[in-house]
Order: sequence, then C-alpha cells, then structure tokens
Amino acid sequence: MVCRVDVISCEGLTKRFGPAVAVNGLDLAVSSGQVYGFLGPNGAGKTTTIRMLLGLIAPSAGQIYLLGRHLPDPRAVAQAGAMIEEPAFYPWMTGRVNLEVLGATGGGCGPGEAARVLHLAGLADVAARKVKTYSQGMRQRLGIAAAMLGRPSLLIIDEPTNGLDPAGIREMRGVLRGLAAEGTTVFLSSHLLAEVEQVCDRVAVIVGGRLVEEGVPAMLGTIRRRVRVEVAATDAQAAARLLARWRARHANGHFLVEHDSGRDVNGVLVAGGVVAESVIVERPGLEDRFLEITGKQDARAVAAGS
Amino acid sequence: MLWLLVAELRKLIRPLVWGTGLVITGFCLLITWGGANNARGALASPRIPDVCARAATAQCRQVVAHAHAAARTAAAATSLLAQPGEIGHVAAGMLASVPGLLLIALIAGGHWGGEWGSRTIRHLLARQGRRTLVLAAKWLTIWAAGVAALVCCWLVLAVVAPLIAAAAGLPAAHASMWAGLGSSASAAGRAVIVLGLFAAVGTAAGAIARGQLATTAITAGSMLLALLVAGITSIGRLSPASFVQAWMNFDTAGYLPTNFWSRFVSGGQQPGELAGLLGIVLTGAIAAAIARWRFSADVTV
Repeated sequence: MVCRVDVISCEGLTKRFGPAVAVNGLDLAVSSGQVYGFLGPNGAGKTTTIRMLLGLIAPSAGQIYLLGRHLPDPRAVAQAGAMIEEPAFYPWMTGRVNLEVLGATGGGCGPGEAARVLHLAGLADVAARKVKTYSQGMRQRLGIAAAMLGRPSLLIIDEPTNGLDPAGIREMRGVLRGLAAEGTTVFLSSHLLAEVEQVCDRVAVIVGGRLVEEGVPAMLGTIRRRVRVEVAATDAQAAARLLARWRARHANGHFLVEHDSGRDVNGVLVAGGVVAESVIVERPGLEDRFLEITGKQDARAVAAGS
Repeated sequence: MLWLLVAELRKLIRPLVWGTGLVITGFCLLITWGGANNARGALASPRIPDVCARAATAQCRQVVAHAHAAARTAAAATSLLAQPGEIGHVAAGMLASVPGLLLIALIAGGHWGGEWGSRTIRHLLARQGRRTLVLAAKWLTIWAAGVAALVCCWLVLAVVAPLIAAAAGLPAAHASMWAGLGSSASAAGRAVIVLGLFAAVGTAAGAIARGQLATTAITAGSMLLALLVAGITSIGRLSPASFVQAWMNFDTAGYLPTNFWSRFVSGGQQPGELAGLLGIVLTGAIAAAIARWRFSADVTV
C-alpha cells in the first residue's frame, strides 16, 4: 500500500552502536525523479544511513519509508537498485554471469537485461571475462550495472565514480542524468563535491550523524557570499580592527569577510584610512560550503567534548 | 524462491566445489583400493597366532584353517561390496560420516561463509531482503552439493571398484552386479538425511561466523565435538553423532570400510533408528533456529 509521496522518507532516523551514535535523528525526504546527493565527511553516518535504507541494519529509532513502504519491508528493498561502497562480485564468474546471478537473486530479470546494463555501463566488450581480471574501474562500472538491473525506480549508490577515469566519470554523469530523466530517483553518496554539484538536484550534508544542511546545490553554494580583501602588510592591523564588525579570518595576507557586499567592506576600509589592494566578492562553491559546514560542526563537537 | 535457488546453484559452479567433490571421490577410490589390497594380503597370509605359525598340532591346524576361512569370507565380502550395487554402501557411508562432514564444511565455508568474507552478502541482501529465504536457499544448495557428491562418488565407484577388486585378485562375488542395489539405495537415502543435517549445521555456522574459514571450522568442529561426546558412555547417546550412528546403522563387512563414524561412537546403549531420525531432525531444527536468529542481526561487512 503506497502511503507516502516521497521515494525516500526518514523521520528521526537514529542508529546506535553501543554508546556511539552513528546517525542521530536524521530527517530526509527524497522526491521522485530527483538526483539527490548525500554528502558528509568520513564517519558522518552516510554509509550507515544507506545500510538502513537497504535493510542491512536496523534503525535504533525512527522510521523509514522506501518507495511508499514502511521498512523493514523486503518488497521495497527489492524494487531499489543499490551499490554499496566498493562493489563486490564472485571472482570466478564472468561479468555477465555475475549480473545474471544477481538478477535471479532478486526474482529474475528479462532476457537481455544483463546485456542492456552491461552496454549502459560500457562493459559489453569485457562481459565474457572473469571478474577477477577486471580493473577497479571495471568493477565500479559493473557495480553500477548491477544496480541498474531490472530498471529499478530508485537507485541508491555509494561513491559511483570511485576508480573511474575522467571519461568514465563524464559517462557516468550522463547515465545518472539519463536515468533521472526517465523518472528514476537516484540517491547518491559522494565525497566528490564537484560531481554532486553537477549531477544532483538536491543535496543533504550530514555531519556527526546529523543533517546540517539540505537544499539545491546552488543555494548551498551561494547562500553566504564572502569578500576577499587584500591589504598591504603595514595596513593589516588597522584592517583587522575595521573588519571586526563582521566575521573575518586573516590568512596569507588576505582577509575573508563573511559579508555579501564588497562595496560595504571597501567603504569601511576607506573610511578608516585603509586602501585595499583588491576587493573580490566570492561565491563559494559547494566544496567551500561543505568544508565550512563540516568545520563548524567539528568545532562544535570539540567544544562539546571539552 | 525458484529464481533464488537457480542463482545459488549457479554460484556452486566453481573450482572449490569441483575440487572438494573430486577429493572426496578420490578418497573413496583410495579406500576401496586399500580395502581390496588388505583383502588380498589377508588371503595370501591370514592372521595366524605366532604359537601356531610353525606348530602342527591338531588344534593349531584348526586355528589355521579357521583363519584361512575367515580371510576368504572377508575377501568375498569385500569383493561383493565392490560390486556396483553394493558399493553404494561405501559411498553412502563415507558421505554420511567424517569425509562427508568435511566436504559440507568446506562447501559451507566457500558458498555461505565466503559471502561475508568477500562482502557479496551486501548485494545479495540488497536484492533479496527475505533473509529466511536466503538461509533456506543456502541450506538447500549446500545440501544439494553434498547429494551430488554422493551420487558422483557412487557412480565412479560403481565403475572403478569392480576393476579394483578384479585387479586385486579377490574371489568372484558370485552375485549379480546389481545385487544389493536396494539396500544401497536405502543407505544412500539415509545418507541424504544426514547430509541435510550437516548442511543445516554449516548454514548455522555461516550465520554465526560470517567468514569462510570460521564457517568451515565451526561446521567441522561442532560435529567432530559431537562425535567425541558420542564416545562418552554416560552421555554419548544424546549426542547428534549418536543419532547419525543410529539412523545410518553403520556396520562393517570385509576389509572395505563403509564409514568413518562408528569407531568413534561409544559401544554403550544407542538410540533406536527412529529415535536417531528424530534426533537428527531436532538437531537440524535447532541449527536452523540459531541460523535465523544470528542472521537477523545487522549486516555490517
């Protein structure tokens, strides 16, 4: 019975391993047809969340609705294609037989389905080779091919471009966008922020098991512009005093001022008798924003610990 | 379920399974070769007490005649056992005893424990979330591999054992090639049940150990421990190994061993055949319950 509109919906999702809290009250909503990026530093709880979505581990608290079904429900998991961390296969089998076996495990795929996904993943030429002879990039492609078996309405992929060369990454980006255009929802975890920025419709940032930011990638990147100011070394002290009205950091002869107007910043400096060498308004990319968010969270964690 | 079984059976097409099956079949052939040679040796020089070796008393002549007769009887029994019909007892007995246990332990380690070691369990469960079905498929396919080894072993022995007996110069069996086929088939049927028990223990071991080597070790170790316990007179009859002994009703005839089990089991009061079967079923059910309980835990590999 379909009871939710979102393809993935998590409410207060929590996972504890003994005293350690890996995921803490996570709320997520992924709509149909989206490519949804899931970002976070190592140990943030991304893989734990994906494992809970796939029913590999049980949540300590909270609810998960996958494709409208309340987990645990094997029927929902069976409708999702997944690649978790480094894909693992049976090395004594060929790539094609591995896919056929995986397809049969889930209840069987139509004839030609393995060939279709092998072609999509660019592995048609090596389909008859044993997996133990595959390179890491080939295994990664095979993992994505396996996830696409049976045309699932939801793809959950962990680090899809690991081990791929630049051409492969571009191809994979095209494949993911193509799947989304056909209506497949893609939930991908990645540390390649530029990748996420180019591919995803929405992005969630998780740190310390908590969701700290969620929105469209462009919004995350531009929500707080900043001004980079370069001054002569002799003016640095005066500039620091003048710029103290905003959050500002001084590093390598530059000030990074958390403000969106270069005109305001320059005006204050000029009024204080400091002539800047340069004033540049920056629109931080997702990477800067990500580091800023995760840095803050780390600092909070340190403060809480002390 | 049928698709899942097909997938699991395809995974069995691997060098580990072929290799283990070949080793078991080779072992059965070696045992047959050894049994035939022992019978030939006994025919040539029966076991005569030293005191009668050179004595010519009437009593000693009687002892020597008796020894020759016993050797001929044992050689004839060995020759009969080496016929295609009767040799099923050897195949069934071997597969339902320690060699079969080791075969199942190795296959369970590779086929089930290996899913954890190679981390393929993640993809398996991501495509098939019904863990009870996965367990059932693993159990059935490990069992099927054991049954296939039994059939293969019997077929190879049926072809080669008569040749070995003839080459050893054993007396003719004086029976149809297919004499004893019915009782062999019955023994093989019983062995299939025992292989099911071994497979259940292997499935539980995989769910507990979550690794290839550990699965093999726990499967073999637990049943060998049961075999050791079966040797203790006071409690031996409650051991799963005693249930197997009672169900298989292992005995020996001639020089060709039909099992590697009965010699470890206490000679004390043993359960009956039906009690043995019930014990096997109960032990299998306990193994299944343990497997289900352990397999419901988080998969973190």
